[in-house]
Amino acid sequence: MTVALVALLPDSAHACPVCFDPRDENRFAFFATTIFLSLLPLGLVAGVLLWVRHRSRRLADDAPSPDSAVPQVAAGS
Amino acid sequence: MTAPSASLAGRAVQARRQQVLPNGVLGMLVFVLTEVMLFAGLISAHAIARAGANEWPPLNQPRLPVLVTLLNTVALLVSGGMLVWAQRAWRRSAKAVNPPLFGALCLGLFFVLMQGREWVALIREGLTLTSSTYGGFFYLIVGAHALHALVAILALGWAWRRHAAGRLAEPQLATVAVFWYFVVLVWPFIYMRVYL
Repeated sequence: MTVALVALLPDSAHACPVCFDPRDENRFAFFATTIFLSLLPLGLVAGVLLWVRHRSRRLADDAPSPDSAVPQVAAGS
Repeated sequence: MTAPSASLAGRAVQARRQQVLPNGVLGMLVFVLTEVMLFAGLISAHAIARAGANEWPPLNQPRLPVLVTLLNTVALLVSGGMLVWAQRAWRRSAKAVNPPLFGALCLGLFFVLMQGREWVALIREGLTLTSSTYGGFFYLIVGAHALHALVAILALGWAWRRHAAGRLAEPQLATVAVFWYFVVLVWPFIYMRVYL
């Protein structure tokens, strides 16, 4: 009964190459590539959105003011 | 005396909505982002395989041509620079686009042909797709890049021909350029991770 209970207790997965690889280089490679692949898409999308926003603002600054295009009304009867 | 008529409001000129990005450029950007993730995954897998290997490169495998590929890398980067020149030249004159555009195309072709030549030499020396994990990763990653480069060269060639016929629009050149810049800029990362 005791043995069965101990067998059911959670334990680390020693076969997991990320958690328990004896080689430091391998462990570091798994961590580094995981972080890299997690952050890269966020960085890419953020970069594109910032660039589009910058471009949009530049176009808005360069565009002529709508007020200058309004035709002047001549005073008259 | 009549008040300013309602037609004035109707005649008021509304500011035109300006397109921030051509549709082609935006679509190509989205595609390029997915391809960047493809190469990121391949390079990450390569990094893990390399870190887990006892010997890298394996002792019985031929060494990669680092110096020749460095020359190729420079040619590819210059090709990207020429395409930037071509895009800037468009603002001055459409005719000024032709020389740098043709230069970019030629340097791109040079890159692909030289890479192919190096591949043939490596295969003769015994580095193949199935000779080792080292060979498998090399041909997978560099081959994927070569495939993208070939498609980008075809697109550049299309743009050059259309420009020569006077039918190329600036957004079309920009769309092709986005893909070529991706091919050019991803290569140094591949070179540093795979060759060095």
